[in-house]
Amino acid sequence: MDELINKPGVYGCVFADHQGLCLGVKGKASTESAGIIGAIAEQAAKLEPKSKMPIIYLENDNRSCAIHRTGTVTGAIFKNVHS
Amino acid sequence: MVDEVKKSLQDLLGKVNGLYSILITDRDGVPLLKVGTDKAPEQAMRPNFISTFGLAIDQGSKLGLGKTNTLICSYSQFQVVQMNKLPLIVTFITNDTCNTGHVLALEKQLNPIVSDLALAVAES
Repeated sequence: MDELINKPGVYGCVFADHQGLCLGVKGKASTESAGIIGAIAEQAAKLEPKSKMPIIYLENDNRSCAIHRTGTVTGAIFKNVHS
Repeated sequence: MVDEVKKSLQDLLGKVNGLYSILITDRDGVPLLKVGTDKAPEQAMRPNFISTFGLAIDQGSKLGLGKTNTLICSYSQFQVVQMNKLPLIVTFITNDTCNTGHVLALEKQLNPIVSDLALAVAES
């Protein structure tokens, strides 16, 4: 997480376990979002059950959030978007 | 008012996978509002079960970690998540695989509902 938070543009990251409970958080991210990102990853995976776990990318004009589940751990990375 | 609150709770129920029931009770476990499916176990909705939360938070406060906010009981087939909103208790009953973090995140959406209800209870 220390490594991740030092990458350019990254301002926060959060990790959740299979129950949506927060494993760790760094930067400007909330522990409460752990449950939500777990739920988003779970719902997105249902769209293509036969494919491997998707990467969900949410973006607005100035920020973005990438969510990915590997095994039982779901991670979300929050980044500033530089246009 | 009750119908509106019930509708909001019903909406919340649909948002979380595996969430069977939401109960808002007083400190003795007497239900004020109850929404849910028939999958929820009857035993977990009894006042004598819900009211043990009061005893548990009293013990929890002895840990020296401050006021107990949430209590999560994880059983082999169900999870029971209870929130301290005294004079009210909010109880969520879910299946064993339900996203506990998502249930905890519902707290923010529940706060306005519960504070309105707490006022109504205090007045009566």
